[in-house]
Amino acid sequence: MLSASNAAYIAADLKAPSGSITAAGSTFVQPFFTKAFYTYTGSNSGLQVNYSGVGSGAGISDFQSGSVDFAASDVPMSATDLAKVPASRGPVIQVPDILGGVSLSYTLPGVTKRLRLDAAVLAGIFDASIRSWNDPAIKALNPGVALPAHTIVPEVRADSSGTTYIFTDYLATAAPSVWTLGVSKTIAWPSAAIQTPHNSGVADSIKNTPYSIGYVELAYALQNHFTSAAIKNASGAYVLPTLASVSADADQKLTVTSTDFSIVNQPGAASYPIAGYSWAILLQKQPSATTGAQVVKVLDWTTHTGGGQDQATGLGYVALPPGLQNADRTALLTVVGPDGRALLTK
Amino acid sequence: MASALAFDAPSDPMLERRRLIHEAARSSLRRRALTSRVAVGVCWLCLGIAIVPLVAVVAYVVAKGLPAWSADFFTHVTAPEGIPGGGVWNAIVGTAEIGLISTAVTVPLGLSCGLFLAQSEGKVAAAVRFTADVMTGVPSITIGIFGYIAIVKNFGYSGLAGAFSIGIVMLPVVIRAGETAFRSVPPSLQEAALALGARNAVIARRVVVPTALPGVITGVFLAVARGLGETAPLLLTIFGNQYMQWNPTKPMDALPLVIFNNSSQPYADLVQIAWGAALLLLAVVLMLNIAGRVAAAVLRREKR
Amino acid sequence: MRPGDRQAGRRPGLPNRAYRSLLVATAAIFVAVVGWYVLSIVVQARPAFSALGVSWIFQKVWDPTHNRFGLLPFILGTLETTAIAMVLAVPIGLGSALALAHLVPDRLKVPLSTMVELLAAVPSVVYGLWGLIVIAPVFRSTVEPFLSTVFGWTGLFNGPADGVGLLLAGVILFVMVLPTMVAISRDVLAVVPLEQVEGAMALGATRWQVLRKVVIPGARTGILGGFTLAIGRALGETVAVALIIGNSPYIAHSITSPAATLASLIVNNFGEATGTELSALFGAALVLMVIGVVVNAAARWLVPASALSSAVPVAVG
Repeated sequence: MLSASNAAYIAADLKAPSGSITAAGSTFVQPFFTKAFYTYTGSNSGLQVNYSGVGSGAGISDFQSGSVDFAASDVPMSATDLAKVPASRGPVIQVPDILGGVSLSYTLPGVTKRLRLDAAVLAGIFDASIRSWNDPAIKALNPGVALPAHTIVPEVRADSSGTTYIFTDYLATAAPSVWTLGVSKTIAWPSAAIQTPHNSGVADSIKNTPYSIGYVELAYALQNHFTSAAIKNASGAYVLPTLASVSADADQKLTVTSTDFSIVNQPGAASYPIAGYSWAILLQKQPSATTGAQVVKVLDWTTHTGGGQDQATGLGYVALPPGLQNADRTALLTVVGPDGRALLTK
Repeated sequence: MASALAFDAPSDPMLERRRLIHEAARSSLRRRALTSRVAVGVCWLCLGIAIVPLVAVVAYVVAKGLPAWSADFFTHVTAPEGIPGGGVWNAIVGTAEIGLISTAVTVPLGLSCGLFLAQSEGKVAAAVRFTADVMTGVPSITIGIFGYIAIVKNFGYSGLAGAFSIGIVMLPVVIRAGETAFRSVPPSLQEAALALGARNAVIARRVVVPTALPGVITGVFLAVARGLGETAPLLLTIFGNQYMQWNPTKPMDALPLVIFNNSSQPYADLVQIAWGAALLLLAVVLMLNIAGRVAAAVLRREKR
Repeated sequence: MRPGDRQAGRRPGLPNRAYRSLLVATAAIFVAVVGWYVLSIVVQARPAFSALGVSWIFQKVWDPTHNRFGLLPFILGTLETTAIAMVLAVPIGLGSALALAHLVPDRLKVPLSTMVELLAAVPSVVYGLWGLIVIAPVFRSTVEPFLSTVFGWTGLFNGPADGVGLLLAGVILFVMVLPTMVAISRDVLAVVPLEQVEGAMALGATRWQVLRKVVIPGARTGILGGFTLAIGRALGETVAVALIIGNSPYIAHSITSPAATLASLIVNNFGEATGTELSALFGAALVLMVIGVVVNAAARWLVPASALSSAVPVAVG
C-alpha cells in the first residue's frame, strides 16, 4: 500500500485548503511536529499549522473544549478522558504519529565498559532498594567490570511525563514482582532520587552529577552523547538504545490501538525494550469541511514516508513502521465532514 | 586638649568638667569613628557581594547568548531544528506588543491606585495596600492559570490573554512602588501648593508626580522588567506561534516562551537561540532603564 | 468661596471630589480583579476540599496515584527557601542600598545602580539554568562539604549534598530578589531631607551615625515596601526554583537536602493533572496566598504603624 498509492496521497495532502489550524499537546513530539509542519508549509504555503507543546494533559484538555483542532499525547486518551468529549462532537480517532525510545544514561567516573542492566536491577535502583554501584545484583550482570563503591544517584522527572510512563511500563512488564511504584506519568519516587523538570533538566542533572543514572528520551541521549546502558529485552539480549534497535522493537508488535498501545519489552535479538509511540488525536466527525480537510491531510502527510516521517531520523526520532502507517491511513480515511463525506482523498 | 589658659588652676571644677567632657568626647569620637568605618566598610562589602552574582549571571548569558546574535536572529521567525537561519523576530514582535499593551494599561491604573494609597490613611486603604502586597507573592503560574480560565476558555489563546496575565503580575508592583515613591515627596511642597489654592489633581500632576518621578520610574521599570521576563503567565495564554503574527487577538510567540521552550530542547543550536533571546531581553531592559533615567532627567529639567 | 476663586476663569484641574472618585475607582478596579482571581482559584480548589475535607493540607505525603495530597513538605519548603533568601537579602540589600545612596561617588551612582537593577530583568528560567548548570556543581563540590564540616554540629547540614536543594534554591532566590530590595531601598534612602542630614553632621555625628539615626529611620516605610515586594517574589517564584530544588516531595531534614515548594509543585504538575489532583494544586495556590497574607501581616506588625504617618497631605473637600 506504500509507494505509488502513497505518493498519490502525499501529493493530494499538499493541496489542502489555505488557512491555519492549531494543535497542542505533548512536548516530546514538539521538535518533530514543528519540523514536519514547517516542511509541509514550505510545500503548501497557504496553510499554517501552529503546534504548541503545552503538555499532553493540557493538549487533551484543549481538545475536549474545542480550543484546538487536534491534539498530541504520549499516552492515548483513556475512557475517562473520552467521556469528557461531548457526545455531539462525536467519536475520537487516535493514531500513532511517531516512535521514540527511552535510554538509561549515566555518569560513572572510572568505568569505561558499557553497563548491562535489566528490569529487576533498574527497579531496585529507582525505588532505592539498590543503593550502591557495587551492589551484587549489578555486579552479577557486569562481570569483570570494576564498579565503584559509591551511592547511586537516581535522576528522575519532577513533572508529569510520557517518558516516565514508558519507563515504568517497561519495569512493570519485565519485572512485575519487583517494581511496586506503579505505571504512570507521575510516580512517587523515593527521597534518594533527584527530581528535575523536563528531559533537558534530567539530562543536565545527569551530566553534572557524578555517579548518577537517569532515564531520558533517546534524542537527548544522542544529542548529549551520553553513555547509556544496554538493557535486557524479552529474548534475553542486551541491547543499546539506537534508532535501529527501537525500530526493531516496534516491528515486533504491529497491531497497536488506543487501548492496547504498549510496545515495551518485545522479543527479538535486536529489540531495545523501552520504547513507545506518541499519538495524534482528532474528531472523526469534523464540524467544518475546510478545517477537517486541513487537519486530516496534514496528519496523513505527517504520518507517512515521503511526508513528515522523513524528518524523524534527523531529529533523533524513529519513523513509524510501514504497517502502522497503513493502519493510520485506514483510520484517517474514516474522518468525515459535516456532510458525511470522507475528507482524505487521493 | 583643654586650653592652656593663664589662670588655669588644676582644681577648678568648671575646667575639670570641661576636660572630662572633652576626654569623653574624644574617646567617644574614637569609638564612633571606628564604628562608622566598620559599618561603612560593611556597606561597601554588601555592595560588592551584590555585584558579584550580577556580573556572573550577565557574563554567563552574554557568553552563551552572544554567539546566537546575527542578522538572521533578529529578522527571521523561529525555525525548527535542522533549518538554519532561524531567528526570533516573531517573538520580538510578540513581546513588544504584549509588553506595550500591559504597560499601557497597568501603569496609569497602578500609579493612580498608588496615589490613592499614598493619600489615604483609613482601613480601606490599608486593606487595598495589603491586597497589593499579597498579590506580589502569588506564583506567576497561578496568574497564568487565571488568565487561561478567564480569557482563553472564553475567547481562545491570544496575545491579549497574555497581556492580561502579565498585567496582573505587574499591577501590584506598580501600585506599591508607586505609593512608596509618592510618599517620599516632602509634605512641605504639597502644603505650599495647597496654600496657593491648587486643587488636588493639580498638586498631583505638578508637584507630587514630578518630584516622585525617579522613584516612580524605578517602580515602573521594576514592574516592566518583571513583566517582560515572566514566563509562566504566557505559557498558558499565548500558545506560541511559529509564524509571524501581528494580531494580538491571535496566538503569538514571545521571547520568554522561546527561552522556556528552546532551553529544554536536546539540540544545541536551539538552546543557543534560547540564550540569545535571554541576552536580548537583558539588552532591552537595559535600554529601557537608560531611557527611563534620561526621561526623568529631561522631565525634571523642564520643570525648572 | 475659596481664595483661588477670585482669579478669572476656572481653577485648573479636576474638582477635588471628582479627582478623589477617580482614584478610588482605580483602587476598586484593582480590588475587583483580585477578587475575580481569588474566586476563580477557590472555585477550582473546591472539589478537593469537598472530597478530602480540610486536614489533607497538613498531611506529609503527596502521592496522587493513591489519592494522597499532603502539602506539608511543600509549605515547609516554601517557608524555608524564602527565609534563606530574605535572611541574605535584607542585610546585603540594605547595605548595598546605603552604599549606592550615600557612599558611592556621584559619578558611579547611576552605572552601579543600573547594574544591580539589571538583575531584575533576567528571566526566571535563566536563573534556574544558571543555578543548575553553574552553581549547583560548585555547591556540591565545595560549598556543601565545607558547611557540613564547619557547621555539622548543628545537625542542619548532614543530609545529602548533591548541590540541588533548599540551600541552592534559597541562594538563587536571594540573587533574584536582591535588585528589588536594593532599588527601592536606595530610592527612599536617597531622598531623606538634606537639612536633617546636615543638622546631624553639625552635631558631630559620624557618617554611620547619620545613616543609622537619620537616613534609615526616615526611609523605614519605603524599606518595608521593598521588603514586601522582595518577599513576594521569593514566595511565588516557580520556574527557577523547580530547576534547582530537587523537587523531593518529602520534608527536608537538612538545609542541603532536595525539597520542593508550593509554587514548584504547581508548575511541575499543572500541565498533566486532572480531577482531584488538579483541585489539590489549586488548593496549594490558596495555601500559598494564605502564607502571603500571614507574612505580610507579620511584617506590618514588626514595623510600627507610626512609620506610615508620612501621608501626602490633601485639601479637604
